[in-house]
Amino acid sequence: MTALAAAAVWLQPVLLTVLALRVAAGDAEAPWLALGALIAPLVALLAATRRPTGANPVATVAAALALAIVLAADLVLAADAAVLLGGAAWHGIGLAAGLVLLMPLLPAPRWLGPAAPAVAAAALLLPLAAIALTLGAAPWTAWSHGSLRAAVTFPEGSGWVVDGERFSRPARLRFTEGQRVTVLTAGVYRVVERDATPPTVRAWRLAAGETLTLRPGDELSVEAGARLRFDVGRRVPGAPASGIVWADAPARGPAMLPGALGALVTLVGGALALVPASRRPGLLAAGGPLVLMTTVAAAVGWGVYVAAAAPDLALGGSPLAPLLRLPRRALGPPAADVVAALALGAVVVLLLTAALALRGRLAAIAGPPSLLWVGIVGLASAVAAWSPDPWRLLVLGLGLAAAVWTPALLATGRTAALAGSTVGAAAFLGLIVLPLVAPGAAAWLDTLVRYPALVAMPLGWAVARASGERAGARRAARTA
Amino acid sequence: MSVPRRRRTAIAALLVLLAGALLLALTPAAPGAVRLAGVSLLWWYAGLVAPVLATGIAVVCLVRRRG
Repeated sequence: MTALAAAAVWLQPVLLTVLALRVAAGDAEAPWLALGALIAPLVALLAATRRPTGANPVATVAAALALAIVLAADLVLAADAAVLLGGAAWHGIGLAAGLVLLMPLLPAPRWLGPAAPAVAAAALLLPLAAIALTLGAAPWTAWSHGSLRAAVTFPEGSGWVVDGERFSRPARLRFTEGQRVTVLTAGVYRVVERDATPPTVRAWRLAAGETLTLRPGDELSVEAGARLRFDVGRRVPGAPASGIVWADAPARGPAMLPGALGALVTLVGGALALVPASRRPGLLAAGGPLVLMTTVAAAVGWGVYVAAAAPDLALGGSPLAPLLRLPRRALGPPAADVVAALALGAVVVLLLTAALALRGRLAAIAGPPSLLWVGIVGLASAVAAWSPDPWRLLVLGLGLAAAVWTPALLATGRTAALAGSTVGAAAFLGLIVLPLVAPGAAAWLDTLVRYPALVAMPLGWAVARASGERAGARRAARTA
Repeated sequence: MSVPRRRRTAIAALLVLLAGALLLALTPAAPGAVRLAGVSLLWWYAGLVAPVLATGIAVVCLVRRRG
């Protein structure tokens, strides 16, 4: 397999769009997540060729589940896109799932496959170049502008203050200053007022056009699909207070180390399972790392330009909102529609190539995947319909692959692989269900619950290695 | 240098590059917050220097897998 084809499985739209959103929102974890998103697949490309070591039902089941969860995270994006474009979530999920099922039946992938990730990377970069030229700012200049912003407020041209915008997923908005919010979709809106102890929860049934007045400290719960309008010049709820806060993220500090390690172990472990090692040396092998770098750089670039030109686009937490709405804010019509369509097209191509690559990985561990693949797409669609947090899903899928699948791939024999997978699976499941069986678990366990692969993968790997060494010693003793 | 040894060295170098971001971001004195030409040292590192170095290491290793 070429490095470019191997890289396709890593270029999941959910990874890239969430990265862009996190950079735009000034997330404290964004710098190492961006670097980890690039270095994890590079490590996997360079790692020793990993071969299945015979029948391993634990790893096979975990791999199928992990692939379904990762695909579900992508389908959540399709649901987001449908809601942002005025449709229903299931329209997006149904269309994307249909395309994913249809693609392997078409002749196109045979010639389009290897080049598709490079085409998608170019399609993500071109709109960014158009935005950079229009704004007259290189990415580092845009970053600098974003970091000098005195306060993150709604500008005059923002869709949130002109016609209102739609929330593609449920959100909780925390207000740091008083402001009025006009409800454009009738429904029940819950407000948590924190000016008294204990906080007061009020539920307001509002008709379209009615206004909510919120005070500093209030928290407004918004359902998916709700459309709201905010006042121009007021602070964006949930956004960093200023450019300095966006740039330096005061939460960043030594206390974040366990979480950072958890995220990076999950990324690297997940990549070791999903991204096959590149076995073809030569100049073409450079394509994989170069496309990975270009695509991750494009994702970071989108985030930086959103933070500089339209930081309110991160409101609502839809990973697709920056790609769909930044062109309109930065370029204006009619170029904006073309550029937004190009960016959306890049995401669709990435989704299809990534899904095909996932299907290929399934074939590598479970044989010809036709019926199983249909089941995986069905399961992924059902999970996506719940509208979960796509990043949480991706971490779960990569973590499961890292904990159960990776130890099997790194083992030297069937028994060792089975032992590693079983221990990895037990540790992973134990940590996942921990909040259910022990709700009062110590706070330091929170990192392990968020990133179970941090413990489960090394444990599974250690058991696989120890079992392999013991089996090797027994074989050597018999030979002697 | 043999291929497996070169590969192991490259992987170690990639992981060191990754650890560098954590060092810049999470050490108490916050060296990553220092501005260079308007951009924080952390973002110069995580957004430009480390990605270019990591990609270069991977490309050299993958292109010259033998010899």
